[in-house]
Amino acid sequence: MSNKNPRNQQPTIGEVMDQAGVGRRQFMKYCAGITAMMAMPPLSTAAFARDLRAARRPSVIYMPFQECTGCLESLTRSFAPALENLMFNTISLDYNHTLQAAAGEAAEAARHAAMEENFGEYVLICDGSIPTKINGAYGTSDGHTFIQQLEEAAEGAAAIVAVGACAAFGGVAAAHPNPTGAVGVADLIKDRPIINVPGCPPMPEVMTGVLVSFLASGVPALDKHLRPKAFFGDTIHDRCYRRRFYDRGLFAKSFDDEGARNGWCLYELGCRGPTTYNACATIKWNGGASWPVEAGHGCIGCSEPNFWDQGGFYEPLSAKLFEERGQAAVAAAAGVAVGAAAAYGARRRQKKLAGDAE
Amino acid sequence: MSTATQSFTRQDAGPQSADERVEGAMRSFAKEFGALVGMNIESCIHCGMCAEACHFYIATEDAKYTPILKVEPFKKIFRRESGAFAPFFKLFNLKSKITVEELEEWQELMFDSCNQCGRCSLVCPMGIEVADLIEIGRRGMYDAGLAPKELADRARYQAEHGHPEEVDKPYAELLSEIGNAHDVEIPLDKAKADVFVCAPRSDMISNPSAVAAMAKVLNKLKVNYTFASNAIVAENYGHYAGSRELQKTISLRIIDAAKKVGAKTVVVPECGHAYTALRWQAADLVGEALPFKVRHVTEFLAEQLADGKLKLNQVDDEATAFHDPCKIVRKGGVMDAPRELMKAMGVNLKEMANHQGYSFCCGGGGGVNDLERAKPLRYKAQELKLHEIDATGARRFLTSCSDCRVAFEDAREFFNWDKQPESLVELVAANIKE
Amino acid sequence: MSILEFSRGPMLHFALIVFVFGVLWRLTATFLLGFRQHRSEPRASKGQAAAGGFSVLGMRSWPHKEFIGRTAFGEAVGYGYHIGLFTIVLLGAPHVLFWQNLFGFSAPWWPTLPGGLITFISILTVMLMLIATIRRVGHPVLRRISNFDDYFTLVILYALMLTGLMAVLGLGGRYEYILAAHIISFNALLIWFPFSKLMHAFYIFPSRFFNGYMHAKKGAAK
Repeated sequence: MSNKNPRNQQPTIGEVMDQAGVGRRQFMKYCAGITAMMAMPPLSTAAFARDLRAARRPSVIYMPFQECTGCLESLTRSFAPALENLMFNTISLDYNHTLQAAAGEAAEAARHAAMEENFGEYVLICDGSIPTKINGAYGTSDGHTFIQQLEEAAEGAAAIVAVGACAAFGGVAAAHPNPTGAVGVADLIKDRPIINVPGCPPMPEVMTGVLVSFLASGVPALDKHLRPKAFFGDTIHDRCYRRRFYDRGLFAKSFDDEGARNGWCLYELGCRGPTTYNACATIKWNGGASWPVEAGHGCIGCSEPNFWDQGGFYEPLSAKLFEERGQAAVAAAAGVAVGAAAAYGARRRQKKLAGDAE
Repeated sequence: MSTATQSFTRQDAGPQSADERVEGAMRSFAKEFGALVGMNIESCIHCGMCAEACHFYIATEDAKYTPILKVEPFKKIFRRESGAFAPFFKLFNLKSKITVEELEEWQELMFDSCNQCGRCSLVCPMGIEVADLIEIGRRGMYDAGLAPKELADRARYQAEHGHPEEVDKPYAELLSEIGNAHDVEIPLDKAKADVFVCAPRSDMISNPSAVAAMAKVLNKLKVNYTFASNAIVAENYGHYAGSRELQKTISLRIIDAAKKVGAKTVVVPECGHAYTALRWQAADLVGEALPFKVRHVTEFLAEQLADGKLKLNQVDDEATAFHDPCKIVRKGGVMDAPRELMKAMGVNLKEMANHQGYSFCCGGGGGVNDLERAKPLRYKAQELKLHEIDATGARRFLTSCSDCRVAFEDAREFFNWDKQPESLVELVAANIKE
Repeated sequence: MSILEFSRGPMLHFALIVFVFGVLWRLTATFLLGFRQHRSEPRASKGQAAAGGFSVLGMRSWPHKEFIGRTAFGEAVGYGYHIGLFTIVLLGAPHVLFWQNLFGFSAPWWPTLPGGLITFISILTVMLMLIATIRRVGHPVLRRISNFDDYFTLVILYALMLTGLMAVLGLGGRYEYILAAHIISFNALLIWFPFSKLMHAFYIFPSRFFNGYMHAKKGAAK
């Protein structure tokens, strides 16, 4: 990525738009799309557009760690602020393994240059978890562990956006028994603003929406898991079109029964909707075409911490979360034994009290 | 609980110091610990239903007369000494050690306000045998020296002399006088007999015609029976007072006499607690099955009726109420015999709202008749019963228990009640087909 | 570990272990206290006595007509909320799933009632529980014989019912917390169970049976 600007002065997004010939009507439409998606009031679109135009076009460093590239795959399928716009107009994507042409030392050099030039101002996007066992040796790149790379990249970041369940919470790599000691970004970096955009993968519109809103108005309001409330404020269940069936107590009992065909609630089939905060039910996937629950499968709760370890995906939310390996049987045997001992003790005490007269 | 008006009496014999009393109660309670008692105590859900079955509560609406509350000391001791978590109850003192004050306080509840009628055992949703627990409680009280003095004294006297009080003349003499007076031959001290019979002391003194009637029926039936001059009295004050030992001694007098004559059947006269004591408790107290059958006189007569040996005339159609003595009917299991006899005589029976297994107690059972201080409470409970009898519209009033008759007689005088309790057996005797 | 994970995981496991251990301890300790031999000539055979035992086991729930006048209200309220509780626990879909998952079996034949009906029954049940509580506090007999056990058990039961209702009705906050609170209340119930009057759920069977058995043996009223 060679279109370097002087280190002290990135152009504003408005300037970039003007150069690219993006008209005002098109820009306003774009902003309206984002504010609508974030459920901001319609009247705020103008202010949002003004702020976004005035924002400096940021340098973005996209760091992959222990990841599967699914998040990037998802991001490149963004429909709302389409990726090409995003990449070339809104941001300056200065480093991304997968998308950039450069490789090896050239790529690393480009990253270091961008970090240096935009120190304190660039946005760091992370995907993938960071393995911490044996000093991080499970994950290395360019001779450095992911821990070192993250710490180095985080130092000059204005904010970090952790995309995907892995970067946010450790994800599948952190699932029991977590052999690599994988953790999320927020577990390691404590002194930088962090925005978690979890999901497996996250919704593309949510990722881009978070980036753009960050540019316009900084770090958005976050929930306790550092997720933007604009996208993660409601549960899937709250917004689910099948909710009315839940309320009426109509549940699909299997994936091919009458209830499933009638679109009844999938709670009994393990749907995590009630405890999952994400925007799938409102924004939907693939340009609003559908989403998992609409496709007939329950939510698996992928935007929640440790979602891999919440019991089987096809077990209901209230199902037990422990492995019973005979402890209850041991407890039963112990109960009988202690009870028998108590009875023995009581009978001895009885004899003593009764003076053994009879 | 308000203790201001509460009184208690102490026995003359038995433990005297506070520690000895508590120890005595504990020793006595401990003898009764067992699986059934455990279940009864552990399963109580404090629903209060037993109160709704108890005439003392219904009459007074005083919560302290809730049946299960009357055994609180025993429950407490069981939990502390024998329950599944007894060591913890003890260790953390969750159930404190019983005190002599508690025992004294509970004397009224266990004796004055309970006839051991067993009605509460039928209402309990958990199936708790409240009446049995009260019996256990009373035994503990006796062994603490805290059974009411009247009952304890009479029990001891009866164990020693064969009758609970000093008498002007021996009962054997009294019995033959009754025979002479009613022109009935009453066999006494026969060497051998198929049937051994005893008589209620209370009838012999205040209602001798009932005793004569029984002899008359047995004579008519040509039963080979006898009384024994050393075991005439049917009552068992040991049972009332809660003393296992005295109850056993008193029962043994009848058992030995019956054995001696080679009786196959012992007929218990119209006396409720005597029936319970001999029919259901004596074998366990003695430690072996009795070598004879025990039959209540109404039960015996009903058997004769069924066998066609007893033939009865029809009586007038006077509306008649029958009081089911708790210890014979509800608890004793003689459920149908009295009604079979009445039916055979064509008695115009008007049943009370609560009858047969569910009848209200006369108020005097369980030794309450003998407790002077319990009278005010007893009258309250009896008022309930008298109203129920009056509500039947009956003019004649029968029962098959002398103690019940004593209680009703007393209430009759107190309330100027218009009915005279009569003996069912007497009615039978008067209506035998010649 | 989230609170929901904790409630469904280690806490539930612990509660189950305490429950199994405690219940068997208490039952064994009671049963092994020994049964007394009865030497009196019985009026009924062992079979008849057992039949009497079973009849009391089943029929005691329906009061004799002699008692109904005084006990009907209390019994209706008491049995009413028990029936409500059992209906919710045994016929509510989430609960049925919970049992199947917990005991590791699949029972597609197990009927469930519509959620709305279960919610309605739950509200009725809570109302009956309220009446029972008011009775316990207000009725002189009940007030006199009630102890900590009675009130604390009610508190746990209320927590269980109210969190369950809140979870279903979407009241009172985020679902995962309400669900966790509901499961934690259940865990508390399991842990408290063996040490409390809740044990009547087990004792009722032998206690009623032996009441009927002993009475039938004597031919006495049942």
